[in-house]
Amino acid sequence: MKRLQTDHTNHAQAGISTREGGVILLDRLSKSYGELQAVQNLSLAIKRGEIFGFLGANGAGKTTTMRMLCGLLRPTGGRATIAGADVWTRRQEVRSKFGYVAQRFSLYRDLTVEENIRFFGGASRVPRAKLPERLTRLLALTDLEAKRHAPAGSLSGGMRQLLALACALVHEPPLLFLDEPTSGLDPVHRQQMWNLLYDLSHGGITIFVTTHYMDEAERCTEVGFIESGRLMAKASPRALKASFSAKLLEIDVEPVMPALVRLREDPDILGVSLRSGSLRLYIAEPEKLMARWREKWPFPDLRLLGQRWVEPDMEDVFTAYSQGYDAVLKNSRP
Amino acid sequence: MNWPSISAIASVAYKEFLHIYRDRRVLLLLLILPPVFTLIFGHAFESGERTDVPALLINQDPTPRTQRFVDLALANKTFKWREQPSTGKSETDLLGQGVRASLVIGPGWSKSLRSKDPLPLRLNLDGSDTSTAEQLQGSLQKTLGDFQMKEQQYMIDELPEEVFEFAKKLPVEVRDQFVSAMTPWSIDHKVLYNPQERFIDYVLPGVIGIILQLITVTLMACTIARERESGTLYQLMVTSLQRGEIVIGKILPYLAISVFLILVVLLLASWHFRVKFYQPPALALTCFLFLLCSLGLGLLISAISRTQTQAIQFSVFFLLPVFILSGAFAPLEQLPKAIQYISELFPLTHFCRAFRLVSLYRAPLPYLALDLLALLFGALITFLGAAFLLRRIEQ
Repeated sequence: MKRLQTDHTNHAQAGISTREGGVILLDRLSKSYGELQAVQNLSLAIKRGEIFGFLGANGAGKTTTMRMLCGLLRPTGGRATIAGADVWTRRQEVRSKFGYVAQRFSLYRDLTVEENIRFFGGASRVPRAKLPERLTRLLALTDLEAKRHAPAGSLSGGMRQLLALACALVHEPPLLFLDEPTSGLDPVHRQQMWNLLYDLSHGGITIFVTTHYMDEAERCTEVGFIESGRLMAKASPRALKASFSAKLLEIDVEPVMPALVRLREDPDILGVSLRSGSLRLYIAEPEKLMARWREKWPFPDLRLLGQRWVEPDMEDVFTAYSQGYDAVLKNSRP
Repeated sequence: MNWPSISAIASVAYKEFLHIYRDRRVLLLLLILPPVFTLIFGHAFESGERTDVPALLINQDPTPRTQRFVDLALANKTFKWREQPSTGKSETDLLGQGVRASLVIGPGWSKSLRSKDPLPLRLNLDGSDTSTAEQLQGSLQKTLGDFQMKEQQYMIDELPEEVFEFAKKLPVEVRDQFVSAMTPWSIDHKVLYNPQERFIDYVLPGVIGIILQLITVTLMACTIARERESGTLYQLMVTSLQRGEIVIGKILPYLAISVFLILVVLLLASWHFRVKFYQPPALALTCFLFLLCSLGLGLLISAISRTQTQAIQFSVFFLLPVFILSGAFAPLEQLPKAIQYISELFPLTHFCRAFRLVSLYRAPLPYLALDLLALLFGALITFLGAAFLLRRIEQ
């Protein structure tokens, strides 16, 4: 009881509380390796039934955070709880509450699909009597019935991920951790994977997924950005896109590549990205710049063909947060 | 901490068994190598005595008496003589002659035996390996002793009649003393514990121990390292499995296979080499503790190494000194005292000693208690060490 009370006080200080329905709570969670700060003071709450997308570049701290939540890494500061239990000190107990799909394919290649699922069922203490029914259901869910007796090593990349998902679900956890589950998959299998995640979410499972695909971030109900071990923002994709304070200017210029290089060097322009042949500009005060350009186009060797205002997408949000274009964001820190 | 669950351990054990079963090549090796090794090693060390060592005999003294000695020498099974009448420079060129020894009977040797200054025989020996020379010399010395006894009889027969007349006048004690002086004194010896002095009976525990140690340590060392390498270890750690369950589950299939292999090797030894075994319970206990200790050791190596390659390297580095210093093939007492202390650290040393105490000495349990305790202690230490090191994965 005493432990639970301290939980509340700590989370109250961090501005989050289990009463809000947070199934995963991170309270200034930190991990450092000597001088290197892999994760710094990460605080966030993930509610029941959310599909939480954890975005960040490679090395931003996504996997480190996920491993801490799985009780595989000891936090060096702060703490995290899953359904009220500390993920490190009570990791043995917490582990029955989640399934984990690792970034690398990490099932037994020499065991068949069925043997893999059965093994993880036994390892997760699924009663022997319940295994056959679970096996049938999971094979149907992941569409692996035909591959039941095939060695896991012989499966294609997409099927391997589906099998990994089946193994993670065998003990029917209320929570699912997926570390870049679709990296390296073809679009068809990515779609299949996401449809599965929607079904699971609909069935009441909370999903925590890391990715660096921006289109996948759009599919999440909540998105968190992590950069250099710090949480830059956490909100729904819609809210994140709304956090752009400035409109986004897109221009058509010819020739486009020299234009990209020249515009990037302009001190008024924070950044430039090429989208379908047009240049998207991140500018603090785009109207002012546009007005100036209408008066006098400063690049005689470049031809301005047209311009328009566009809605920011997740990639723009990610670029702005990860590159630190604070001037285009309404509130630079969440 | 909950109690380890039997069904969780069974899951791990079954999975581990599938790994072994699926890897057909290793499985085949596992089942064929131990009996084959036992046969080869068993025959290799069958007789400790050397026979038919090529040697050169240069006789420069062609007399009947010398011929009597040569006949005795030719009957000596240790040597395979090649006779050569005269000498050259070849006498010391053992390598060129393709022999390990050369014996030169100098001119006038038989005559000198009757003088007060008998000439020595000249023997050249190959001392490159340190044991052969001594053995050959000893064997020849024995032949020479036999020859001397026979010649004494001839000499006595040829003595003039006066000597015997004179001898009859001597007191009985003096005569007896003389007879005793002319008789070689003997030892009435009785060989205990290995009365037939069969080397196979002595070396069998060494053979069994080395084969099993090799298999258990290297295979076991690879198990955790393989999971670490393929990333499955993390997957294993995030299940509800406890470390103890993983360790026990991993050990069980290898333990079962090793027990089976021991039975095969023992049966082979008793059927093919006619080795007799006594006190099966004590022997079984010795083997079981040794297996536990070896598996624990493999597990420890496994927990230390990052990759399978490292695991194999660690195993080889560990096993090499064990093979040489554990007293598997030669008595430990030959080693310097300081090295003997190191030997006591190896499970194989205790296994060989305990096994011999049971099978050769038929010693009751108290005699092997110390070695069995050492094995048990080793098993405990390695298992706890491995379980502790597995902790480091979660950091």
